[in-house]
Amino acid sequence: MHKRYSRLAVTAVATAAVGALLAGCGAGGDTGDNADGVTTIQFWHRTFTPVENEWYADIVKKFNESQDEIKVVDTEVPADAWDQKMKSAQAAGKAPDIYTHPGSIQDAVNAGQLHELNGIVSDDALGEIIDAALPVSAVGDTYYAYPLLLEPQTVLFWNKDMLSAAGLDPEVGPATWGELIDMCAEIQPTLSDGQYCISPASDAVTFAWSTVGQQYNFAGHTALTSDWTAPDINDSGYKSLMESYKQLWDNDYMPKQALAAYVEGKDFGEEKAAFKVSGSWMMSEIGSDYPDLLGKTGIGAFPNADDAEGDTATTLGNFKWVVDAKSKNAEAAGAFLEWAIAGDPENLVPFFVNTQFTKVPVRESVQEAVAADAAAADAPWSGIIVNDIAPTAIPEPTYPWDVSLAVGTAMESVMKGAASVDDAIKTAEDAINTVIQRDDLPSKAPKS
Amino acid sequence: MTATQTMMSETKPMIQPGGRHARRQHAKYRYRDGRIAYFLILPAVVLLGIFVIWPAIYAIYLSFHDWSFYKDPEFVGWRNFTNVLNDPLFWAAIGRGFVFVLMTVPVMLLLAFFFASLVVSVSRWAASTLKVSIYIPTIISSVITSIIFALIYNYSGGLLNAALAVFGIDPIAWIGDPAWALLAIAVPAVWLGLGLTSLIMVAAMIDIPTEYYEAAAMEGANWWQKTAFITLPQLKNVGLYLLITGFVAAIQQFELPLVMTGGGPLDSTTLPNLFIFNHFRNDINVGYSIAAALLLFVVLGTVSALVFKFVNSERLVD
Repeated sequence: MHKRYSRLAVTAVATAAVGALLAGCGAGGDTGDNADGVTTIQFWHRTFTPVENEWYADIVKKFNESQDEIKVVDTEVPADAWDQKMKSAQAAGKAPDIYTHPGSIQDAVNAGQLHELNGIVSDDALGEIIDAALPVSAVGDTYYAYPLLLEPQTVLFWNKDMLSAAGLDPEVGPATWGELIDMCAEIQPTLSDGQYCISPASDAVTFAWSTVGQQYNFAGHTALTSDWTAPDINDSGYKSLMESYKQLWDNDYMPKQALAAYVEGKDFGEEKAAFKVSGSWMMSEIGSDYPDLLGKTGIGAFPNADDAEGDTATTLGNFKWVVDAKSKNAEAAGAFLEWAIAGDPENLVPFFVNTQFTKVPVRESVQEAVAADAAAADAPWSGIIVNDIAPTAIPEPTYPWDVSLAVGTAMESVMKGAASVDDAIKTAEDAINTVIQRDDLPSKAPKS
Repeated sequence: MTATQTMMSETKPMIQPGGRHARRQHAKYRYRDGRIAYFLILPAVVLLGIFVIWPAIYAIYLSFHDWSFYKDPEFVGWRNFTNVLNDPLFWAAIGRGFVFVLMTVPVMLLLAFFFASLVVSVSRWAASTLKVSIYIPTIISSVITSIIFALIYNYSGGLLNAALAVFGIDPIAWIGDPAWALLAIAVPAVWLGLGLTSLIMVAAMIDIPTEYYEAAAMEGANWWQKTAFITLPQLKNVGLYLLITGFVAAIQQFELPLVMTGGGPLDSTTLPNLFIFNHFRNDINVGYSIAAALLLFVVLGTVSALVFKFVNSERLVD
């Protein structure tokens, strides 16, 4: 008997241990209807700048206080952990009900990842989205995402003091690549050790997403033919773009190893670069982390090719809110979305004001409310971003990421002297052709 | 299997003389012991089944499908495998993994051997200090290590370039230049792995009977001769164990390139696991990354099996 009890005890302990482990593995965020009739939904957003993070926390708190039927649980996910955390959650069937989403929506729509907004967000609210934001919001007549903002992804910033020290006009940036190279030649002799003329994108991945506008500027088109049947990068425009970066590299106008990530302004803030290429959001970082530099930071459109084919050198990045296709509380998620970013414009004014007017609202009513804020007068760069850069910017490409990455790799190879222009383009064409065949891209090409 | 067969062959002659009753008694006790054994290994088997065997089977199933988590998996036959096998970037990552092994494992074994030789020849207090010192990197997170080394390699203001500047050497893009980047990753990998390797080597060295060295000394053998004819042969099995564990750890290195370089520049630090991870992270469908992971498993399994065969034959010689 004693032994039997021992065996039973061993079995019970083993079962309990396994059960406890499995319970631990299965633990996820609470979602669904509580006994008291409150619907709980999970909201994930990335870690952005401190002022943006404060806005996210605040808007969730205000929504929860404004009513007692829906409770939003806000989770801030570090940006560099976002992809793997989201993938893991999706694989486990525990994706949040509503979350932020950058870039194109086409792949996510094709994969069935996004819930239609028609029906859970009012038609009036959807109808307020400006035309420039429609490509990242809807496919045909069906809306899948509601943008919070648009922001140019390639903007040129400069340190006015460093330009003045080189005898250059601190108020005027270079309009063309030729002017940029000439200015760097003037600036370089005035720099100390560890300082550089310009800090641009310098790796394949960053080139891949941040230079699509420049590819359009140099070549008049992007990396695929319009019917997505072949790569379209073997021309003088693409070659000239690659050689332009090589010029910056060979002349030591740029550092041989990035001083800071493209998306952040640390190197510019520490005055290690006279020019910095980044998205418009960088001005917000300068304002919060390097306030002394705000007054002596110049901002302008990224230089055009000397014989530019396109009228812009930037894509229009975005962050949207989407509802997960598997959400069991899609209506509650839609209600939260509409209240937070598609309702009262005053909810959004703090976001755009505290980010230093560096982002473009996607509703005219919000644009007007932001422009009416008293602080707008102290942000002259706002007009440059909203009026000079954003209107001509092109949307992010809808073709697969691997196509962009092939071009980015070619650009880095040429710049660093790892391959000739022709060889790099040939390698990129082969890689793109593989993607075209693998993903059957002609069948997915946008219908014109 | 081999152990069970050996046990059976050893016990069989013992039960013959006792007749049927003895056989029954023996079977009864054997059965009872077996039941306890099954109970004891039950948790491990269940956990292994849930977290290893079932996922492996499901991964094989999914590798023949396109699956985005939101639609039902779509059967695509061998397409994911052919896509991986025809992808030059996959083979480049595998080749880079072997290069990384060559850059790290021999250096680590050599340094660990020298360190162990030092430890066994100094006083007990000094040996303890040395052992604690060498083990500290092992308990530091590889992510923290990556950040520390990224700061050391910083192009402008990094410790290494600042030290080189003292000798008038221009800054080097340690993790920005494809020519240097893999080596720059290999250094912290060696630093991280050296502690455990060294301690195992020390333990093995201490186990070598001192009589061997005393006899050699009486014959007039010098340090090199003692090392070549006593220490190294006695360390052979431990060395082979460290070789295979070092190989598997090095070719599967993931955190260092992920944090320090993201796989760049120009894929020069994209080791096999990072290649698979990048596909898992970026691809809408997970079939490709699962197929790549299974193929990497085949590559690692094949190499490990070859080395294990080598280890086993050495044990038989002993």
